[in-house]
Amino acid sequence: MFDLSSTTAKVVFGLALLFIGFFLFFPLYWLVISSLKGNAELYQIIPTPAPVMPTLEHFANAITRGKLPMYLTNSLITSGASALLVTVLALYAGYSFAKYRYFGRQPVMLFMLSAQMFPFGLLLISIYPMMSSLNLLDTQLGLILSYIVFALPVSTYMLYSYFAQVPDELIDAARADGASDLRIFHTIVIPISIPPIVTVFLYSFMWSWNDLLYSMTLIVSDSKRTIGPGLLLTYLNEVNSDWGGAMAASLMASAPIVIAFMFLQRFFIQGVTAGAVK
Amino acid sequence: MAKLELSGIRKSFGATEVLKGIDLTVEHGEFVAFVGPSGCGKSTLLRLICGLDEITAGQMAIDGELVNDVPPAKRGIAMVFQSYALYPHMSVGDNMGYALRLAGTPREEIRARVEKAAKVLRIDSYLDRKPRQLSGGQRQRVAIGRAIVREPRIFLFDEPLSNLDASLRVEMRIEIARMKDRLGTTMVYVTHDQIEAMTLADKIVVLNAGRVEQVGSPLALYNTPQNRFVAGFIGSPRMNFMRLGAPGQGGRYAVAGGSVLVPQGLAATPAEIGVRPEHLELVPLDRPHALEGVVTMTEHLGSDTYAYVTLEGSEDMLVVRLSGENAVRRNARTGVAFDPEMAHVFGADGRTLASARPVALEAA
Ligand SMILES: Nc1ncnc2c1ncn2[C@@H]1O[C@H](COP(=O)(O)OP(=O)(O)O)[C@@H](O)[C@H]1O
Ligand SMILES: [Mg+2]
Repeated sequence: MFDLSSTTAKVVFGLALLFIGFFLFFPLYWLVISSLKGNAELYQIIPTPAPVMPTLEHFANAITRGKLPMYLTNSLITSGASALLVTVLALYAGYSFAKYRYFGRQPVMLFMLSAQMFPFGLLLISIYPMMSSLNLLDTQLGLILSYIVFALPVSTYMLYSYFAQVPDELIDAARADGASDLRIFHTIVIPISIPPIVTVFLYSFMWSWNDLLYSMTLIVSDSKRTIGPGLLLTYLNEVNSDWGGAMAASLMASAPIVIAFMFLQRFFIQGVTAGAVK
Repeated sequence: MAKLELSGIRKSFGATEVLKGIDLTVEHGEFVAFVGPSGCGKSTLLRLICGLDEITAGQMAIDGELVNDVPPAKRGIAMVFQSYALYPHMSVGDNMGYALRLAGTPREEIRARVEKAAKVLRIDSYLDRKPRQLSGGQRQRVAIGRAIVREPRIFLFDEPLSNLDASLRVEMRIEIARMKDRLGTTMVYVTHDQIEAMTLADKIVVLNAGRVEQVGSPLALYNTPQNRFVAGFIGSPRMNFMRLGAPGQGGRYAVAGGSVLVPQGLAATPAEIGVRPEHLELVPLDRPHALEGVVTMTEHLGSDTYAYVTLEGSEDMLVVRLSGENAVRRNARTGVAFDPEMAHVFGADGRTLASARPVALEAA
């Protein structure tokens, strides 16, 4: 193993971290400072490393002039609903895979996981005619349903692994106490599974929120557009020159995910089953 | 109080049969202990009684009513699990009242019953705490309290004390003994701890590989084991077994370090004799009726001394339990003698041919 206390190791690891950090954070840094620069400063030939005169005008413009609030609302609705749907489906599917023994359990689980191996674009080819025949093209419901493919397989697997670790004796104790299977799931298993449930919800929310392809393909009305395509169509075209606006809008678009992670991170590190057994 | 009757109980998981026909009656208010080596099916049998698993074949009745298909909560049975299995997100009080809540018991009554049980178990000041805020012993009390609150007809315990350290285990054992006297409820108790079984049980069921080897009072099992397995399983340190050589005249058999006289006219050819460590003694070499060997190891427990004697011409060691502190010299040659009344004779199939019958020691 490496001896981390030696000076050489410290230097090597330090440099490696710096290198990785640069690629991870420099674009983010550039995004932030660009959104805060006035237009004059933004279009200088030699860019300034930090805004000389920070301004919030791009943010104000993005909110008031563009359709950013509408796109954000649409995204919130579709991503929220699909994350909820994925979480609920993954809860029941994962629990069934983890705690019940029935014919075909493993094949069904593998089949479901295999959906994750196809590129999402490929799946879209079959989703499109499905949505078309259900008359769900250009509807939020259609988009919400399609978003399930992003995260359901992995979410199910994540919850499956968690539930598999829930001690059987806990479930047996509840059964001996007279609880039905569903009641055990709802009053014992779900309450002790809040951290993985939050994780799964955020995970699937993030996938839908970051989606571009599905929303671009399945939604045509501007009034139903989500944030990804909304930003793209507003700022990334030949006639656009509002780079500051694009930066500010992008920042605001990524804010919900960042904020959610900040508030919910305590769930990821918490152990809840402590005290259940032994 | 309830009477529990099992007849021809079998349980298979897939192709493997774990319980191979269990017949057993537990009387009203009786405390029965299941003992047996790990994996012999004790927990499986308990889970069948509780109703957590389905019985593959056979019949089970409580107070004469067939309960094979009755769900756990309707059997009037409460079980205390080895891992305690407390609901981690509920307070101690809610844990104890969960079954009553499910049964639709009025809130006031639940409170009263939980508080009463908690007081008895001395956990009444922890009712608002979560299980993770309790020590192991306190969690164990909560698990027992959760069972008591339901006022079941039968209590089931699956190795309830095995997760506790030694001193706490003794304390809880006494607690359970008091609970048994106070409640007088029928109790079935699984343990691999002999002392728990011997001290608590009215009746011990020795299980081995999915079958009942013997049922009886603790002393009956100790004094008259029906087979070699029970003889070896009950008692600590375990019984010494000595293989008998070719039979000589008049019931004389060679054993390592000497020979013995086994009573004649037994149901089968004797193959082994067994003597418990506490029934052996070290004697001077010149004593006529004794086996000969060398003390190879000693263990000093203060209250007792265990001497391990390797018999002449054999690899086998006999454990001799000497009471009190005994300065036995290691590597010394010694004689070993036993009271013939305390020897057991086993056949080749392991069945007991004679217990408490004279097996005389011959001069070496
Ligand atoms: N759900 C199960 N599926 C398959 N085999 C099982 C199951 N439960 C127990 N067994 C097997 O049954 C045997 C008895 O187990 P158990 O009753 O737990 O023994 P113990 O006497 O140690 O409590 C073991 O060999 C175990 O592997
Ligand atoms: Mg067991």
